[in-house]
Amino acid sequence: MSEPKRTIIGFVCERSLPLERMLGPDKALLDDPDTKVVIVPCSGMVKPTLMEAALTAGADATFVCGCAIGDCHYRTGNLMIRERLQGKRNPKLRKTTDRRKVGMFFVTMKDKSAFLEALAEFKASLDVKPLPEEE
Amino acid sequence: MYRKFLRLTKSLTVSFEKLVNQLTTQEHNPLYFHGALPLYVFWFLIFSGILLWMYYIPTLDRAWSSVNYISALPTPGDPINLASGIPYGAVVRGIHRWGAAAMMIVTLLHMFRVYFTDRHRSWRWLPWVTGVGLLVFVLFVGLTGYLLVWDARAYYIVVATQHFLNAVPVVGSSLSSFLVGGEGITDYTLTRFLFFHVGGAVGIFFLVWMHFIRLKEPVVTPSRATNFLLVGFILLAAGTLPAINITHELLAKYGNDPRIAAQAAYVASDAPAQIGTLVDTIRYDAWYMFPFWLIQNLGVGWTWVILGGSTLLLCVAPFYPKDRRANIAEVIEAKCTGCTFCSLDCPFEAITMVERAPGSKFKQIAVVQAARCSECGICVGACPFQAIELPELHSKTLEADLLALVKKGA
Repeated sequence: MSEPKRTIIGFVCERSLPLERMLGPDKALLDDPDTKVVIVPCSGMVKPTLMEAALTAGADATFVCGCAIGDCHYRTGNLMIRERLQGKRNPKLRKTTDRRKVGMFFVTMKDKSAFLEALAEFKASLDVKPLPEEE
Repeated sequence: MYRKFLRLTKSLTVSFEKLVNQLTTQEHNPLYFHGALPLYVFWFLIFSGILLWMYYIPTLDRAWSSVNYISALPTPGDPINLASGIPYGAVVRGIHRWGAAAMMIVTLLHMFRVYFTDRHRSWRWLPWVTGVGLLVFVLFVGLTGYLLVWDARAYYIVVATQHFLNAVPVVGSSLSSFLVGGEGITDYTLTRFLFFHVGGAVGIFFLVWMHFIRLKEPVVTPSRATNFLLVGFILLAAGTLPAINITHELLAKYGNDPRIAAQAAYVASDAPAQIGTLVDTIRYDAWYMFPFWLIQNLGVGWTWVILGGSTLLLCVAPFYPKDRRANIAEVIEAKCTGCTFCSLDCPFEAITMVERAPGSKFKQIAVVQAARCSECGICVGACPFQAIELPELHSKTLEADLLALVKKGA
């Protein structure tokens, strides 16, 4: 594993991933120490401003991870955050937010490896598209 | 112990669905539409039922022959020339007959999926209890459907049900004459059964409304691709089920013509009912006939205990075990602008908008109904003004947590 060079903040639904087996003491993923996790009861609790706050504070990227679409324990939480991030439901992301830095994953609690693959892909996408510098 | 059991069933369910996901992808997994499936099958039953109703005659002497006229079994020696039946009548009757079995199967699938994933308790008690009601109604409508055919089995069911109702103290005999519409079985009896069957189906719609009343945007139809697949499956089943059901006896009976034997195998009524002549045993259907199997093998008393007891157990299931419920969403009155976002997004209709007192800064305020709140925090995510919070997980705490994490990483 390479030196941690990025900070990625993930908002993870406590029912989607087997977090008790995936997190280190510093709330970083054991398989990917760059990624720090904030646990929420449901992905629908995440609001876009919270993800923007992570980016403004200096995180390189942020993502939300909820249950599989169609299988939210609270029925619609994952649909809500997906629509909010897609700009179909209020509250939305600000127009000035770099959408490339905002990811979302929807997995069941048995999909740990699929999630890690998708996360690696997300991180790689940050690499190939150099983010424009702020003036 | 019981909680551990529910966790185990959930884990097994998710593992199984992961397999299905690999075949269908998340968007089209039919198991994620388990609640929409019974409604979907129900539409098939409604439409095929309306077609059957057009030809059904609810009288003692015509009921059996009118049903069999629809599916046109060329029975030797029948008074009506059944050979000139209704085109595809056997297919429509077959869809109605086998759709009824599918209805029970998908209803049970829905029930067990909800139970195994622990989605029946606490704030979900109303959908669950009305769901138990729906299960009883599906059973009732299915059984009355068997009566309308008015064959030897139907007569057996009526006699056994009267026997079953007579066992009720005080009102038993009134109930049993209410069932058949008088002291004995007359033409009024079948009219009454027709009402039970169709009226019960309407009752299902009423209960479905109750079932949905506390669910925001209930999923009422499977995904489009799943819909097409299911229609294809039903047509395929309508073609293959009779072929599977052809027996040597049927073939011999219909002059070794597999086409006619297949038609007979679709639905196959027994001999017409003859009042006063009770058959010794009936063909048991796997999904609807179990009460009569119980009556015959265990007696009326035990049947009452088993049916009543299991219904009662199902009805109290959502109230045990009790959760702590310390994290019910709270509205911060000073900040709430009455924008309605939280009440629009609440998945359990727990938030209502109420008028504020005249002269207030804002017009409305959100009010949380504690018993309906699932403590999920979706309303917190919906609020642009930090005006609704979970007491044990304030969004300020979340923000502080994430800032600390960013700082540690940098």
